[in-house]
Amino acid sequence: MADWEIWLTIAALAVATAATRASFWVVGHHINIPKRVHEVLRYAPACALAAIVAPDLLLDPAGQVHFEYSNLKLVSALVSVVFYLLRRNMLETIIFGMAFFTALRLLHVF
Amino acid sequence: MHGQSFDMTELHRAPPPHPAEIDAHDEAAWRDGLKDGMPTLFGIGAWGLVVGVAMVKSGLTVAQALGMTLLAFAGSAQLAALPLIAAGAPVWVVFCTAIAVNLRFVIFSVLLAPHFQHLPLRKRFLLGYASGDMTSALFLQRYPSEQPQRGKLSYLTGLMYPNWAAWQIGSIAGIFAGSAVPAVWGLGFAGTLAILCILVPLVANRPALVGVLVAGGVAVWGHALPYKLGLLAAVVVGMVSAMAAEELTDKLKGMRRG
Repeated sequence: MADWEIWLTIAALAVATAATRASFWVVGHHINIPKRVHEVLRYAPACALAAIVAPDLLLDPAGQVHFEYSNLKLVSALVSVVFYLLRRNMLETIIFGMAFFTALRLLHVF
Repeated sequence: MHGQSFDMTELHRAPPPHPAEIDAHDEAAWRDGLKDGMPTLFGIGAWGLVVGVAMVKSGLTVAQALGMTLLAFAGSAQLAALPLIAAGAPVWVVFCTAIAVNLRFVIFSVLLAPHFQHLPLRKRFLLGYASGDMTSALFLQRYPSEQPQRGKLSYLTGLMYPNWAAWQIGSIAGIFAGSAVPAVWGLGFAGTLAILCILVPLVANRPALVGVLVAGGVAVWGHALPYKLGLLAAVVVGMVSAMAAEELTDKLKGMRRG
């Protein structure tokens, strides 16, 4: 991307933050949102984050899917999710996951 | 009040105090906000640090990364945007992705806004813009009722200002540290781990798990589609699957009851 395109994207991100966070602050009064709309609001963020992470963990730069032990990112991510489920702490999980990933990478375990 | 009939229920039904009075700075409430938010500040700063590193490691210049953290101020949306920017996706695809990731804030804004409906529009807009996950969750724990009340605004800003500062300090430190660290350390992976930590608590029930698995699968399958459209397709198909799964579990529950 050209420099101006990146700045345009940054502006778009700022609009996305304002449009979602300030949405009902601007409306002001109390609103009951319908069940369907509530479902969309609840499930969309999880789906979007999964759609971002999955290709990053499963694909190599050539676009091939790797479901085996030699995929260090995938192994480290799965172990980190288990760690997070046990500890429920983001910071500890990131430190643990990075240490685990680095150890696998440097020690050539797989 | 009316003499002998005064009791707690009467107090709740009393007309709200004058706006100027309830929004006056309340030092005790502000300190309570600061105190309640304190344990989260270190985590917020560290999360900012990770996003700061991820921004420069994905190829943004220091100026662009600083602009992004100061203007966008939304960690998960920023992290989601980075691989798309690196892949040269069109601006509207990045925008739609950021909106999808941010939709959880709409729920917070529905819950928070009625507490402050008497404030002027510009102030409501700015308060909403700066209310992230932590600020919203902690505020709603302390004030479940929408009744206007003295100290609410001070409590909110007591949570919000330190949260904003911790985030920006961590993020800016990450931007400068990240540009000094060699790429082979693989620090970009910390961003992926951070996304996983945000994602796991969102998978609170089985329909959400269905949605997440389907969305991940579709994203991998459609990764080669032009303009990163595989990603948007993944979000839509995942969401519809989650809603269908919810309908199905509701129906099964209904059948078991009937």
